[in-house]
Amino acid sequence: MRALRILTAVGLVVFLLVILVPFWWIASMSFKTYEQIQFATSIYVPKPFTWENYSGLWAETRFPLWLRNSLITALVVTVTTTVIASLAGYAVARIKFPGREAIASLILILYLIPPALLFIPLYRVLAELGATNHLSALFLSYPTFTVPFCTWLLIGFFKALPEELEEAALIDGAGRITAFVRVLLPLAAPGLVASAIFAFTLSWNEFLYALVFIQDERSLTVPVGLNLLIYGDVFHWGQLMAASVITTLPVVALYVFIHRWMVEGLVAGSVKG
Amino acid sequence: MAVDQRTVTRAVRPRASSWGRARRRDAGTALLFLLPLFVLVGGLIFYPFYRAIWLSLTDKLVGYPERFVGLRNYIYLAHEDTFHQVIRNSLVFTVGSVALKIVTGLAMALVLNNVIRGRNFFRGLFLLPWITSTVIIALTWRWMFDAFPGRGFFNSVLLDAGLIRRPIAFMATPEGAMAAVIVANWWRAFPFFGVSFLAGMASIPKEHYEAAAVDGAGATRRFWHITLPGLKHVIIVTTLLSFILTINDFNIVYVMTRGGPGTATQIFATYSYEVAFNQLRWGRGVTISIFLVPLLVVGIASISRYLLREAR
Repeated sequence: MRALRILTAVGLVVFLLVILVPFWWIASMSFKTYEQIQFATSIYVPKPFTWENYSGLWAETRFPLWLRNSLITALVVTVTTTVIASLAGYAVARIKFPGREAIASLILILYLIPPALLFIPLYRVLAELGATNHLSALFLSYPTFTVPFCTWLLIGFFKALPEELEEAALIDGAGRITAFVRVLLPLAAPGLVASAIFAFTLSWNEFLYALVFIQDERSLTVPVGLNLLIYGDVFHWGQLMAASVITTLPVVALYVFIHRWMVEGLVAGSVKG
Repeated sequence: MAVDQRTVTRAVRPRASSWGRARRRDAGTALLFLLPLFVLVGGLIFYPFYRAIWLSLTDKLVGYPERFVGLRNYIYLAHEDTFHQVIRNSLVFTVGSVALKIVTGLAMALVLNNVIRGRNFFRGLFLLPWITSTVIIALTWRWMFDAFPGRGFFNSVLLDAGLIRRPIAFMATPEGAMAAVIVANWWRAFPFFGVSFLAGMASIPKEHYEAAAVDGAGATRRFWHITLPGLKHVIIVTTLLSFILTINDFNIVYVMTRGGPGTATQIFATYSYEVAFNQLRWGRGVTISIFLVPLLVVGIASISRYLLREAR
């Protein structure tokens, strides 16, 4: 028993180091001066500690613009996704109609289709719609992966709600739509929040579509902008690290806020079904 | 309020004909609710997929009209040395990182399962890589492995510990670059394996362990005979899921190595991007990703079978 406890403690420390060291490495570099990085002084803890990378990032690069683009995209995609996914999730979970099982399988299959399969033809389709090189390319393409995932998640949430409540509303003469809006949506609020946060995170982090569909530097999102900074001619390592820290923070904040929901959602959405 | 309405529901039995009408109306409502999903899926998934198949049968070059060439792209790639290497690289990358994820995921779940106080806290903390942008993860590990001590973590530590005399350029060799992208991909996803396995462990009945303890089975035997068989289902599903995601990975390899040095870490998606957007051969670029479709179909069909069977 004692040996097991020691083993657990050791394991916990090892995993903590494996998870936290890379984060700390990036964060600490974001507080170092160019010289500290270049001449490898004060390697483990930045000394002196500086904010100049953050102010430089804000004043000298297009990062604020990229941040704004990422935020707009993530918000638009989150709203669209939540509307489409809650309607579809409700229909599959609560209405009995021929073919609902087939549609449930279809949603799961769509969720598993990787974006890497479709980026070239999707680019052509968007180009024909005149939607490339602008954020609208992302508004249109991101729901192709957020909607299947969120619908799958919401089917589970809607199924778990007690059927009597809705039946009561229907018997009282309310139509399906009223029952959905007045009774089910408020009850499914935690599920909707979880699903919205997933949609937000997936859009916020997306890279391939944004890289392919947008060339105009004013319409780039943060991940693609960061990629430009990495391979740019002048290496502002500190700024790059500062940008990584700033980009990671909103997602971590959202995550801390609802982390238990998210863990359950992750497990439910991807493993338990 | 809910309770007395439930009794009302039970008391009122609608007549058969009104049931039929209600059914039809329900089907109509369902269609209405599903319409946005159908438009999205039809226009932006199915239609592009059809276009992908068509493009793969043409010699489309950017700036030129496409010409139908039959299976020429497929035959060309089947004989191309670079593409053979891409297949080998993709397999090494995928099998290597998924195998690591299973082993460390199991270790993480076992550790967390024994942590009593603060288990949820650690579970949440360990999941941080999973919610972080893959571009940032790729960038992070690029610096961790950097040849220059001020930026590269491993070189800094090894130099300080006196284990090496001069910095090692980890990512300059084919093997080193492959190891680096595998590590980055592994690091991002193993916490997800850990959390899934932990959930699986929670659903193994306690009595099994008690019975085994009475029979005098040690911790090792309990692991092999109870824990592992109890996790079989979740291990299969997680592994299949991760296999599909990993073999289609783009971000990590593209940001860390651009497929290099040479073509040492070029995998399906990065090669497809390279051919389509640097060589501007769209027909051939699409064909590269279509080669994965049979594998995807098998993978997706098995996952769906597992998940849908459980959902019912």
